[in-house]
Amino acid sequence: MSTTFLPCGDYHENYRQDHAWWQTKLIKAKMILLLGILFVYIPLFADSYYISVCNQIGYTVLGTLGVQLLIGFCGQLTLGHAAFLAVGAYTSTLLVLEFPWPGFLVDWGLSYPISIFLAAVVAGLWSVLFGLPSAKVKGFYLILTTMAAQFITVDFVITQYVSQIGGRGQAFSLPPGTIKVGPWVIDSDVKVYLMMLVLVVICITGMLNLIRSRVGRAWIAIRDNDISAEVMGINVVKYKLFAFFVAGFIGGLAGAFWISNLAAVSPEHFPWFWSLWLVGVILIGGVGSIHGAVFGSIFMVVVMELLQLAVIPLADTYPKLLMDFLFIKEAAFGLAICVFLIFEPNGLAYRWWQVKNYFNLWPFSY
Amino acid sequence: MKLNKILISLVTLIFIVGFGFPAGAEKINVGALNDMTGATSDVGKDYALGIAEAIHYVNDTGGINGKEIKLYQFDYGYRVPEALTKYNLFKRLNCVAVLGWGTGDTEALSPTVTKDKMPYVSASYSGHLTDPKKTPYNLFFATDYSSNARAAITAWYDKKWPQHEDYGKRKPRFACCYMFASPYCSAPIKAVKDQAEILGFEIGSDQDVSLFAVDTKSQILALKKFSPDLVWHGNTVMSVSATLRDAYALDLGAAHIINNWGFDENLPRLAGEAAEGAMGVAPVAFFGEDVPGMDKVVEYAKKYNPGVALEKRLIHTVQAWTNVLGLAEAMRRADKAGGLDGENILKKGFETMQGYDEIGLGMPPVTITPTDQRISGKVSIYEWKDGEFSLVENVDLESRWPKKWENEWMGW
Amino acid sequence: MDLFLMTLTTGIMVGGIYALVALGWVLIYKCSGVLNLAMGEMTLIGAYVCLSFYTAGVPFLLSLLFSLIIGLILGVIVERVFLDRLIGEPVLTVIMVTVGLSFFFKGIIELIWGTDTRVFTPPVFPLKPLHIGPLIIGQVYLWSFVAAIILLCLFVAFFQYTRWGLAMQATADDEMAALSLGVSARFVYATAWAIAFMAAGVGGTLLGNINGLNISVGYLGLLVLPAVVLGGLNSVPGAIVGGIVIGVLQNLSGAYLDQFVPGGIKEIAPFAFMAIFLLFKPYGLWGWERIERV
Repeated sequence: MSTTFLPCGDYHENYRQDHAWWQTKLIKAKMILLLGILFVYIPLFADSYYISVCNQIGYTVLGTLGVQLLIGFCGQLTLGHAAFLAVGAYTSTLLVLEFPWPGFLVDWGLSYPISIFLAAVVAGLWSVLFGLPSAKVKGFYLILTTMAAQFITVDFVITQYVSQIGGRGQAFSLPPGTIKVGPWVIDSDVKVYLMMLVLVVICITGMLNLIRSRVGRAWIAIRDNDISAEVMGINVVKYKLFAFFVAGFIGGLAGAFWISNLAAVSPEHFPWFWSLWLVGVILIGGVGSIHGAVFGSIFMVVVMELLQLAVIPLADTYPKLLMDFLFIKEAAFGLAICVFLIFEPNGLAYRWWQVKNYFNLWPFSY
Repeated sequence: MKLNKILISLVTLIFIVGFGFPAGAEKINVGALNDMTGATSDVGKDYALGIAEAIHYVNDTGGINGKEIKLYQFDYGYRVPEALTKYNLFKRLNCVAVLGWGTGDTEALSPTVTKDKMPYVSASYSGHLTDPKKTPYNLFFATDYSSNARAAITAWYDKKWPQHEDYGKRKPRFACCYMFASPYCSAPIKAVKDQAEILGFEIGSDQDVSLFAVDTKSQILALKKFSPDLVWHGNTVMSVSATLRDAYALDLGAAHIINNWGFDENLPRLAGEAAEGAMGVAPVAFFGEDVPGMDKVVEYAKKYNPGVALEKRLIHTVQAWTNVLGLAEAMRRADKAGGLDGENILKKGFETMQGYDEIGLGMPPVTITPTDQRISGKVSIYEWKDGEFSLVENVDLESRWPKKWENEWMGW
Repeated sequence: MDLFLMTLTTGIMVGGIYALVALGWVLIYKCSGVLNLAMGEMTLIGAYVCLSFYTAGVPFLLSLLFSLIIGLILGVIVERVFLDRLIGEPVLTVIMVTVGLSFFFKGIIELIWGTDTRVFTPPVFPLKPLHIGPLIIGQVYLWSFVAAIILLCLFVAFFQYTRWGLAMQATADDEMAALSLGVSARFVYATAWAIAFMAAGVGGTLLGNINGLNISVGYLGLLVLPAVVLGGLNSVPGAIVGGIVIGVLQNLSGAYLDQFVPGGIKEIAPFAFMAIFLLFKPYGLWGWERIERV
């Protein structure tokens, strides 16, 4: 918020205006238009393929919010976030499938929403567990402990033990119709989309509020220079662990939400690659701002979808060509990350900020 | 600016082309999921080539009563999430059937597939997919993993144990090497251990060997303490060959029985002298063997994939052909009897196959009933000896244990 | 007791190979401060190049030499093209660039050599094991260990006794001072990457000899990280010790802990151990403690 300059000619007359979320009438109008498009226009008029792409974007946004919090706002380098999404997803799945809910909860369709909340709490606590090393280590070593969290959680605990609960083997099946929110059965892309929007709006609002508050200021102080922060009297360990908790909470929400879109949940949905992906997304979008998380998600998902679409005409030719294309895709992706990070290290949010301020300050944008 | 214009037009082009699905006249869409780059790609690549060639063959010989099959074949890298997204894509493309691959994703998708009434012919021969009460729309044209494993241990017990020096003095010892976390590997374990108990083996603890394993020394060393006479291998060729090499290097001294995806023409190439005497399951004839129908397989392999040497083709091509030919026949029957919706293909297609033996290719006759989707109880066990595969025994589980076969063994 | 001795010896020998790769990693970090997550794929490149030469008929030692040369060239190119522009960027960016590099290498390797397992045919080391006392040692392991030790000694000698080696040590110690004495930092960085590529290549070849070479050998690159953390990020002897310890740990946990916690403990034991170890000794055994000032 503070990185944006107000349009020329606007000024505030009291604190209430200064603190407001939408600071001018123009901004208010733009935001209401945006919400209108998101909540009304897209579900009614967009093709189900686009809606499924939006769902993917929403899932990525929720995932990257947690990582952005840890890396961008609190300065804790984390490379194992997919583990917490996995914890959230599996807790929610197990609660929905195996837990003996009292009858009235199931009838009212409250089992899934409650399970989402519980899953997020469990993921948050699990995240705190693996965030404990942050009290002693930082920088690269913290990366390694979070990587350890990723491998231990997904590759070991979930793959070997949790997956074997009840069913046999790797995945828990969630045929359409298992998940209900209130009176609605979640079995189509549009319903998942609406649920996703609600969750994303809640999470973004929550994060923004946290950043604006005392807690957020403590995080930013820790990010910038944690020794000074400690000298100033901020309880560094407590705020670091709280950051891990909130990041894990949002990650758990993301995982628990995502299962409604899947026909089955398996540990392969949360590989180390996904943790790297989330970090890559915020680097491309811009570290240190919520805009960065959102832009990065939109950009990366759209680019990946375009690449996938390009594959379909190739599927007509021989499988061998198809195979080669996949390898080229992987190499191109790696190269793209390198190139992006070399030439655009501040990310997309920086460009957005530049463009926006150009218009805000026009005609004096020099 | 010029570069931007070029980029934007390229992107738009990709978008348009991507969305422009060709609306051919009277085409039947079939989806195929294959693993060409993932954990089981050592056997999956060959299978994928076989699927494409077999579909060409079906189209060249009249298609489905005159209608051509359009194949949407994708590599999903043995990753369950990709399989799920591709399945949704198949539904969006109005596919009438899916040719699947891996056990993990097939089993994960089976409740959804049952709800969607989508016939799913998989390369996973898991015993858990054979019960029509639970998974009516999951079928495959081969004997299932559990029956295969039972037959393998029975064949060794019948033919090899009597020649052992300790025969008659003690119980033979048996242990399993497989990847615990993989549903494909763990599918037949309960059944093979049950069979071991029926035959009177002493069973040791299982060893976890990853599908990616290149070093299995510690597992072999742990096995040595138990000193088994027979070891079951549940993985694909890559890791089975590594295990065989380590067993040879560390002098384990056990005989080996291997599941069908770990036992093919590549195994002796990878394991060298360590593969001598290894026994395994072959659900169909090996590539190039002299059986009815094989000439077409070889011909189409030469025609459509000349870049892959014929000596490098494996039995998995033949397995792909049997699945495709079986599905095609079921679709033909269903099409004649009313239409190509899922329920019809199951009831008027698959379930009308009683003793169907026109697939050839070394398959036993196929029988599918509304209460039993195991196509047959006869399994051939082969052995690699002196540079070739020779038949050890064709075990007929159904006639040896008829009551158990009918009442107890289906579905696990 | 037999089991213990055998797993111990196997662990030490495999650990020698890990130590070689860890050495390369530590070099890159010491000289240029880059935390390299692409180590696994670098092992693969060297190994596959050697394999290609070997299957084309070139004798083994000569193909090893060729792969060393190609590794050297590749190291210099990678450093010049990618890492030079990242001097001064925050830590995370550099790490992510190495991650991007690892995907890039992986795609290229899969493109050129495919995903099948390949073996060195005819086998470089005979398959039959040696019986030394109660121990059964695979010949591959023994010779790999010997080769790894020889190369380690060569590298350490390079650092101690040649001018270039001294220049690298100086840069690692205090870059400013070295620059003021006329040492070219870019040269040092390029050499560090070149040596890392070479070390990784040899390590990969030796590992590939054991049971075949495929993409999953690259996961070794992840195992290097606990090894260097254990030994200390800045310490060359620490890397060697760390590599051997991780090798031993992996094998012992595979043999013994598998009964209690079945499945997969072999892969994560190094990471779990490292996580716990970091709580007690955050800088590893011989790492330099960073004293931060406000």
